[in-house]
Amino acid sequence: MIALARMRLNAYAKGGRVWPPAIATVVLLGIMYGGGVGPPAPTFGYAALVLFPVIAWQSKLVLDAEPDVQRRLARVSVGAPREALAGIACALVAGLAVSAAAVVVPLPLLLAREPAPGRPTMTTGTAAGVLAHLLMIPAAVAVGALASRAVTRAAGNGVAVLVSGVVLIIVLGLHGSVAPWLAPPIMAMSRSLAAPVFPSAGAFLLLCGWAVAWCAVAFTAYAVVRRSRT
Amino acid sequence: MCSGGLSRLCEASFVRFDQVWFRYARRAQWTLRAVELSVEPGQAVVVLGRNGAGKSTLLQLAAGVLRPVRGAVRDRPAVVGWVPERFPADQPFTAEQYLRIMAAMRGASGVARWMDRLKLTEHRGTRLADLSKGTAQKVGLAQALLTPPGLLVLDEPWEGLDSGARDLVPEIVAEVTAAGGSVLISDHRGEVARLMEAACWTVAEQSVRAEVPAPGSDHVVVEVAVRRADADRTVARLRADGYDVLGTRQEDPR
Repeated sequence: MIALARMRLNAYAKGGRVWPPAIATVVLLGIMYGGGVGPPAPTFGYAALVLFPVIAWQSKLVLDAEPDVQRRLARVSVGAPREALAGIACALVAGLAVSAAAVVVPLPLLLAREPAPGRPTMTTGTAAGVLAHLLMIPAAVAVGALASRAVTRAAGNGVAVLVSGVVLIIVLGLHGSVAPWLAPPIMAMSRSLAAPVFPSAGAFLLLCGWAVAWCAVAFTAYAVVRRSRT
Repeated sequence: MCSGGLSRLCEASFVRFDQVWFRYARRAQWTLRAVELSVEPGQAVVVLGRNGAGKSTLLQLAAGVLRPVRGAVRDRPAVVGWVPERFPADQPFTAEQYLRIMAAMRGASGVARWMDRLKLTEHRGTRLADLSKGTAQKVGLAQALLTPPGLLVLDEPWEGLDSGARDLVPEIVAEVTAAGGSVLISDHRGEVARLMEAACWTVAEQSVRAEVPAPGSDHVVVEVAVRRADADRTVARLRADGYDVLGTRQEDPR
């Protein structure tokens, strides 16, 4: 499975598909951090929200990097579950790289800031921000996977699933949404980190449980569809 | 651990199509209906049928690329080698890099040996996208053989191959079957003549019919070269004389 994952990441990087989301990430980081940064927790929470569509898009590109017939050859070589798992692992690694950049780039600016009274320390704020990214990445990968060519078959369908999935997740996550639980807690996490009162450990646990449950449903749906769609 | 040549197999088993039904979409017509056949260990089966009859679908069901909508393909060996009809050459790897990755995926060795045998060594540094159709097809063949397959599925393996490589296909099929493996092979060029011991399955009208040659059959296949202008007349005359004409093809360039 590791050989397959490496092959796919190689194909993604060498095939040139890596550049559009990488450029989008650089532009978004420039916009977010170019004019200075606020406290760490809301800064990272906001970054996780902004990068969610980019990582979802990138995941689709990673999973679509190899030709369909090569994906089927990989399925014959390593088996269907490992083939699907290797793709998800690749998308997670690529997502982690984007989020790592979003966490590392503003660190010098954040370290230069005086901690505001009544706000969490730099370490606590950064840890909460990293958690926001860690909750966002699997959800974004799941959206990208459900929009990938192996699932949607036609290119137009893939783009429609990707765009509508991202928009729905953001809309359903808005304050006052009628069904916030239908979306992963990306908006909720970002809002919590920007709130005047820093969330309690219990609130974080609840958000983690919510994210895990949502991703479990999304990845199960992906696995079920991939059983028949190769 | 399986390694080395095709002379040793990890396992050998019957591959059984157990009431297999398949269609590509929920409301689409059935491509294959109620397929109930099996391939014995050490048996080669040639799958025949017109274009679009479902030969490739049947082979992909056997290889595990496609999943039956109803029924199941049972007792598929752990190691399956699949050579697709068109090798996916649109990948940013050289021939050697690609085969090494595929070998690592299967935990196999022997890349150099297969490159040498299929005369790919001189193309080792060539990007897949820059290979000729026939050479890319050879890379596809090599990746399927890196681990001795319990089931080898060849979808139009002769397509694009030069005459030397075309002779290699029956040789490889014989090696796999001699080692106890099964081979499914589709053909629409009349190359079936090169596989005289193989059983025949015909795909037509959404079903598959097995035509196992009677034991002791004294039929052989004779290849005859005639001038292009005489081809139609010769075929007609042979048919009129009661011979079964399997196909016509361009003479191999020498």
